[in-house]
Amino acid sequence: MKKGVIIFALFLLWVLLVAAVIALPPMGSSETPAYTHVVPRYLEKEVEEGGANNIVTGIILNYRGYDTMGEVTVIFTALICVLAVLGRENIKRHTSKVELSSVEKSVIVKSVVRLLAPFIILFALYIILHGAESPGGGFQGGAILGASVIVFTLTFGFTLGMKKFPLKYRTILESAGPLSFFISGVVALFCGLNFLTYMLPCINHAYQDLVRHLLLLIIEIGIGIGGGTVIGSIFFAMEKVEKE
Amino acid sequence: MSPAEILNKLTVNFNYVVAMTLFIIGLYTIISKPNLIKKFMGLNIMETSVFLFVVSSGAVMGGKAPIVGEGVSPGTVFVNPIPQALILTGIVVAMSTTALALALIIKLYEQCGTLNADKLKEIK
Repeated sequence: MKKGVIIFALFLLWVLLVAAVIALPPMGSSETPAYTHVVPRYLEKEVEEGGANNIVTGIILNYRGYDTMGEVTVIFTALICVLAVLGRENIKRHTSKVELSSVEKSVIVKSVVRLLAPFIILFALYIILHGAESPGGGFQGGAILGASVIVFTLTFGFTLGMKKFPLKYRTILESAGPLSFFISGVVALFCGLNFLTYMLPCINHAYQDLVRHLLLLIIEIGIGIGGGTVIGSIFFAMEKVEKE
Repeated sequence: MSPAEILNKLTVNFNYVVAMTLFIIGLYTIISKPNLIKKFMGLNIMETSVFLFVVSSGAVMGGKAPIVGEGVSPGTVFVNPIPQALILTGIVVAMSTTALALALIIKLYEQCGTLNADKLKEIK
């Protein structure tokens, strides 16, 4: 009875939503309001103004720089909240279900992860560093970096995982995302410009483009390393089990 | 509008219809499942449906990925980059909220020994 009422109400909502879809502009057309308003300017001027061949990267770091800075702070805040609820792992006090499990880990899984882990990290670094020129960027590379930490720890256990990614380095690297944004943003203040301006007219004209690329690269690396470390740290905090 | 026109609209906007259906599936999971982890799975399905909807709204038929530079002839049609940039933000926020929710659920399970929302209501 209760289930029937829920399904009926949700079906009515679905019909309303689909009726709204009929009124939307056709998908895939280049005449939609979303495409004709501000996008032409981004597509034409982004390389000149933003300095990244990948227009998505240019938008998130340049036109929407404040938004992305807030987003990086959100990841960092999520980590702080998770640690406030669950607490940090301790190599002396904690172990994980991976070690406590009675099932022997398969040789195939161990060998594949051991062989692939360096290449996954290499691929993550490629994605991070190439974000301005090709698909990718800091967040995507950071997610791959975090996934490599997770897959390694799930295979080889908590103790080895924590030895490979020690707490003392992670504590510093976790804040890399917001810090790199602040460092790159503050540079413009010394030229008398607004926060998060990358084109600096007060330096030699020949070096302006180079400095802009360098500032964007600092942010990308900071987001990537910071994001990956935060994902790894959240995983470690969730995975830990008290030792007997 | 005739039924044939409506059907034509729905076929063209097929991605939007799938997004709406996913949204309803997620909402149903949140309402009907008592398990807290399943509730958050439903929330993630709803988030995914919104991502699909917004990214689809930026699609252009025959458009290329918005990357300019050498080897791209002038006059190439690009897809809309703004929804992609917005959804990148959305995915990160969704991941952060999911991490925090799962941390709270782990703590709740340690304290109460159950994840059933109906039983948790009775625990004083």
